[in-house]
Amino acid sequence: MKKIPDKEILLFKSCLVNLEYPGVESSTRYLFDKLDIEYIVSNRQSCCTGLGHYTDLFDQFSTTAIAARNFAVAREEGHKNIATLCSTCYAILKKSCNILNKNEEVRNKINNIFETSGLGNMEYIEDEMKSKDNIFHVAEILYSKSTEIENIFKIDLSHFKVASHHACHYCKAHHKDTIGNARDPMILETLANACGLDTVDWYDRKTNTCGNGFRQRYLNKDLSLSVTNEKLLSLKENDVDILLHMCPNCQMQFDRNQKYIGRSQATEFNIMHLNISQLVALALGADPYRVVGVQTHTVSLDPILKELKKKSID
Amino acid sequence: MKTLKLGENTFKLAWSIIKDLKASEYIGVLKCIQCGMCTSVCPAARHTDLDPRVISKRVLDNDENLISDDLIWNCFYCYSCHSVCPVNNSVCEINQILRQKAIKKGNGIPEIAPFSNYAENFLEFGLGSIPINFFDELVQDIGEDWLQLKVDLEDIRAELGLAPLTLPEEDVQDINKILEKTGFKNRLGKIKRVKG
Repeated sequence: MKKIPDKEILLFKSCLVNLEYPGVESSTRYLFDKLDIEYIVSNRQSCCTGLGHYTDLFDQFSTTAIAARNFAVAREEGHKNIATLCSTCYAILKKSCNILNKNEEVRNKINNIFETSGLGNMEYIEDEMKSKDNIFHVAEILYSKSTEIENIFKIDLSHFKVASHHACHYCKAHHKDTIGNARDPMILETLANACGLDTVDWYDRKTNTCGNGFRQRYLNKDLSLSVTNEKLLSLKENDVDILLHMCPNCQMQFDRNQKYIGRSQATEFNIMHLNISQLVALALGADPYRVVGVQTHTVSLDPILKELKKKSID
Repeated sequence: MKTLKLGENTFKLAWSIIKDLKASEYIGVLKCIQCGMCTSVCPAARHTDLDPRVISKRVLDNDENLISDDLIWNCFYCYSCHSVCPVNNSVCEINQILRQKAIKKGNGIPEIAPFSNYAENFLEFGLGSIPINFFDELVQDIGEDWLQLKVDLEDIRAELGLAPLTLPEEDVQDINKILEKTGFKNRLGKIKRVKG
């Protein structure tokens, strides 16, 4: 398995975490603090261009130049191990890093742009970042601390049946760097098990995309939600209570659209959606409102909140 | 007997894809054996006429009509095909490259113009966001609570101990200089002209 760092980490902010599920970032910070992971967050970091890139609005060269700037920020801040909260940031940064290392012409062009913009200090040197050694998803960092998590979790949530949605841009886009089997990833299950929860390790649509498809949710809504519905039906068949996420775009696709899909199918889905950081933070005793950010969710998390209340009375 | 005639331009489209910046190193475009693994896992193939195996075949047939074929816009960019291909081909990347060719040609611009507000916000703040023009429909589908979340966001972020969402002005200016020189601002100008 690849070597996963626990220091000199730049926690890479994500647009959809910022705007939709900020509790994913605060939960991650809570966990990093508890697990003695040394990290910073930088307000100089820009977004990765992700939603713009995958709606075809951004060209690859511009996305790569923005990545090179963010790599320079990480370097200047002395924290060049990047941990992303979003799977699309992960995929985009890895792709850009590979281009910068392997394509001399592009690297020179981007360095020339830096130079002529008074940003010569941002020059990207070949191989100064390695896609496999410096760019990670937060879930991987947590996964490397599974044993520690197992030793310190406080709250028994084993009442709930859990399944995973390992985001496509984590497990498929750079599948050779995915931890475990990219076609049946188990990172999220391993972390849930470490917190004492039982997991549905396989279900019919486990490897399906969430259905967002970037442009598809906005311009081809019926197509997009048909794919989401397939997965929801498969989860319902398996009586899943909580679906674990590692990407805010996927989480949004399920959490925000689930009621709408249920209405249009004349069925009801009662699946709760949590990012893996949110679940582990809850199991370690984090406050649901002041750390986990349950107040920004659309599907009610009341069953979890009731269970937490019961546990605190016990 | 029918013989295959190989000329200089036989695989012109395939080579232009292989050499594109978006294509992964060692992409196996020319090695496609038409096994159909890609189609078996493709969400778009289950619900539309897009068939990744056929896209790959048409690339090998040098069928440049693909660039103006609406089918390429059905791809979800989920990389399922990419992750199962036995010869390291990636119809997901092929579709991304074909769409860029369509944008360059002009016919693809109306497909991306609805997202131009994303770029405007990126240039203004250095941050990504959902284009504002989709908000009304999203509020209808998701509910009023989602709109209220937008109103309350800064308070919620403060409650969670998170800083306001701003980059220093100097960094936003740097990002603008960079995107001016990569040609992105010029590209956005063309896109917005079509939209208007």
